[in-house]
Amino acid sequence: MRTVGKRSIFLYLIIFVFCAGMVFLAARVFLNGSSWASMPFNAHLYDDHDEQRRGSICDRNGTLLYSDEKGFADSSREALLHLLGDREGNISTGVFSLYSAELSGYNPLTGNAREGNLFKTKTRLTVSSQACERAYELLGDRSGAVFIYNYRTGEVLCSVSSPSFDPDHVPEDIETNSSFEGAYLDKTISETFTPGSIFKIITAACAIENLPNWKSWKTECIGETEIGDGCVTCLEHHGEIGIREGLMYSCNVVFSELAVELGGEKLAKTAEELGFNRSFLFENAHTAKSAFDVSNAKADELGWAGVGQYSNRVSPYHMAVLMGSIASGGETAQPYYVERISAAAELPLYTAEKRSAPLRIRETTAAELRTMLRQNVTDYYGEYLFPGLDAGAKTGTAEVGQDKDDTAWMVGFLESPETPYAFAVVVEEGGSGYRAAGSIASELLGILSEE
Amino acid sequence: MNIPVSLSFFARGRFTAVMLLLHLMAVALVIHIIVRCFISLRKGRRIQNAVIFLTDSAGGAKIPVLYWENSIGREKTCDIILPDPSVSRDHAVLKRRERGWIIADTASRGGTFVNGRKIDAETLLRPGDRIGIGTLELVLTPRDEPASPEQKRRVYSGKRTFMTVLETTAVFFILTLEACLKGNALSFKPFLPFVLLSALVFGVYFYSVGLLKRVSFEIENIGLLLTGTGVLLLYGVDPHTAYIQLAAAALGVLLFCLIIWILELPDFVSKLRIGFEILGVMLFAVTFVFGTVVNGAKNWIFIGPISVQPSELVKVVFIFAGASTLDRLQTHQNLIEFIAFAAVCTGFLFLMHDFGSAVIFFFTFLLIAFMRSGSIRTVILAVAAAAIGIFLILQFKPYVALRFAGWGHVWEYPYDSLGYQQTRTLTYIASGGLFGSGLGNGYLKNIFAGDSDLVFGVLCEELGIIFAFALCSVFVLLALYTLSDVTRSRSTIYSISSCAAAGLLLFQTMVNIFGVTDLLPLTGVTLPFISAGGSSMVCVWGLLAFIKASDERTYGARRRKSI
Repeated sequence: MRTVGKRSIFLYLIIFVFCAGMVFLAARVFLNGSSWASMPFNAHLYDDHDEQRRGSICDRNGTLLYSDEKGFADSSREALLHLLGDREGNISTGVFSLYSAELSGYNPLTGNAREGNLFKTKTRLTVSSQACERAYELLGDRSGAVFIYNYRTGEVLCSVSSPSFDPDHVPEDIETNSSFEGAYLDKTISETFTPGSIFKIITAACAIENLPNWKSWKTECIGETEIGDGCVTCLEHHGEIGIREGLMYSCNVVFSELAVELGGEKLAKTAEELGFNRSFLFENAHTAKSAFDVSNAKADELGWAGVGQYSNRVSPYHMAVLMGSIASGGETAQPYYVERISAAAELPLYTAEKRSAPLRIRETTAAELRTMLRQNVTDYYGEYLFPGLDAGAKTGTAEVGQDKDDTAWMVGFLESPETPYAFAVVVEEGGSGYRAAGSIASELLGILSEE
Repeated sequence: MNIPVSLSFFARGRFTAVMLLLHLMAVALVIHIIVRCFISLRKGRRIQNAVIFLTDSAGGAKIPVLYWENSIGREKTCDIILPDPSVSRDHAVLKRRERGWIIADTASRGGTFVNGRKIDAETLLRPGDRIGIGTLELVLTPRDEPASPEQKRRVYSGKRTFMTVLETTAVFFILTLEACLKGNALSFKPFLPFVLLSALVFGVYFYSVGLLKRVSFEIENIGLLLTGTGVLLLYGVDPHTAYIQLAAAALGVLLFCLIIWILELPDFVSKLRIGFEILGVMLFAVTFVFGTVVNGAKNWIFIGPISVQPSELVKVVFIFAGASTLDRLQTHQNLIEFIAFAAVCTGFLFLMHDFGSAVIFFFTFLLIAFMRSGSIRTVILAVAAAAIGIFLILQFKPYVALRFAGWGHVWEYPYDSLGYQQTRTLTYIASGGLFGSGLGNGYLKNIFAGDSDLVFGVLCEELGIIFAFALCSVFVLLALYTLSDVTRSRSTIYSISSCAAAGLLLFQTMVNIFGVTDLLPLTGVTLPFISAGGSSMVCVWGLLAFIKASDERTYGARRRKSI
């Protein structure tokens, strides 16, 4: 009988293969369970009315923004639509889409198949609904975006995109009416705009890093300058002007000549170091790339590129993070707006991972830019815009042609230690950067500093 | 009857917590039952001491006889080695049957002598008889000392067995409660299958332990646990299917008893071998001629309202045909007959397009063939032949090749046939988590083949991953048990058939589970005991009988007559 016994070894092989396979299966379920369980065809995600289970969502102060029982909060529903999401899933960024597994209560222990109050989730966002509501009001019927975040902790305080809509009463002509163009997009991250003068910050950075005597660099602004076959115009005659005042008064002559002097290659290198032509990961959504490409630019086009009027495009998110990097002296915290998602008994399903943003600027460059941008406020825009907040900022009024009004920008930061915020405000067809965007930034930062 | 209860009652945290706790209890019970049964099986094995001795007349050396079937010869692989040139390599087999010790000559050159006379057929021996092999003379000598108390097996604990049966019923009760409360409505209908299940459980228990006075019940208990879980799980899918499964399980238990009864006489079973082979071929032929095609495979016969899958029954017949006693193994060394039979079976299955079953038959053939002959060459040749077969199939049957195309990439095809079922299975396994959604509250069952091929996913989704993995461990443990019992059973017929049965069950489980979770291409084989399929249920109970037969204690009551 012994030999028959020995020959049964064959069966051990199958036992081994089976056990190995089951271990492998268990590992795959553990590692991928979250994404598998949040597939849209998973019927457990939906309640009896075919609505996704999302629990309740609050802002940083505990104000209810959304709950399964009550739906969207009335006053903030349009302002926060892009942060939350719509019911149909047309908005692909936003908590509903990006965290559908966690919102459904998924965890490796109990999955997300059990129902009942025990498994309802509570989500806390970092934004202030009050500031977001006001931001949306101020944008009015204009297309635009506001992004404000704490550059030390990464908490996003205000993120609003316009146009928006009421998710419970989706306009019938939302796809055809031009006033709803981009309504599904979160323009803070998924849209890019012509930067105009705010691009001068990047040109200035390039000069700081490549011209050893940039502090004594001067040129003569007579309202225009001839570059190559073309001509770059400036809105005023600034006379003899250096880089520092050029940034303050936003002189096109200074920065177009600088661009040509530095050359397209160096400018592109600085731009890419500072985050251009790159997509960022923001709460698992990929941001639109800010664009800078002067490889085929003629000399005068390069000059315009230096003042942000060539093919340059920037996203508000990118600009805000750049401001945050400058304000924090090189490295800023990675922005996030989902603080935590917990199940019953405060069991944490998701907690925000605090880390650094993958955007870095040299400490020395950051220091110089910080001083210059701060001076813009103290000596030009006026402290009254951001009283007691020690702000630094830059406006931009970008020409976009096509018979449209200019795109208004203001980007900046607050140095005050209680309110270490960086911001970017953009208003399409806003006209003047200072009036349209600056006024919004001023009011919102005032609201936030008082919370 | 359905009693409407307000929705808020079910949403309340306390209710959810209680249901979850109950479920945890069920999981703990299942694990306890499984552990108990296999520990008991392990303890119930015969201790491998010498059961009798052969004294060499020449030197007085006492050779211990360790097994119930022993090969005697010059070969080093024999159980009793006689390194004398006058002895053939495989000279004889000394085996123990009910009537006593028997010596059988296995085509030796010189022949075997008992008390001086050459035997021409197997001969019954008495203590003191002289066996002449070659130039040696061996005297059959009983043990001097009776087995010491420590060597005696652990005393059978009737109370513990009954406790385990109660625990099994408790598991069913909890699952029934979950079924009563599924879908946020209260219904008492699930208690009907529960009552029927309990009747089956206690019926088998009282028949086996009470009537037949058997001392072991582990295999039956495990079979009932798996069967009951499957029945209740399917009740949550469709009550009609559950009742069919119950009826099939009852039939299966009858087959279980029948096979154990047939297997009591190993030599008789060996003689029936040809009959089994003919039966198997006939079953396939009938299916081939009169069968109906269902889902691409012509593997079904419809008799009125009942549908039968004969290939499932042939699995049992196949093992009967393949297993063999040691003396027959030694006498008829070549496997041609069995290989031919296996080839015919596998061929029929290919022609009927049931490739999953064909693979299972092929694997079982390899297992049995290797256990019988130990010839790696045969295995390699068979595998080569199979490889050629698979290659030909892939060439001429494009839809089979498609299955391979999706394999490993199911997430790239979530909305077409290459990945639909597997992605849903994986999603719902993840959704269920460790403890499941509660019986009846799953959605995978609504997908095509949810109650048959994908049932492992339903098991994970509704009862949880721990529950499902615990049930799967049963198949591993069964295989390990048969392996550990291989030299302790009463004949190689039990060793081979039990290993083959356990191997078949495990392999089929593996093909089913791996197929729906994208570890292997998807095939249409069922998960034993759980999947819907009456013929499958009857067959796996039949396979369980082989494993039970390998347990000595099954026939033990009569064993204690002499020596």
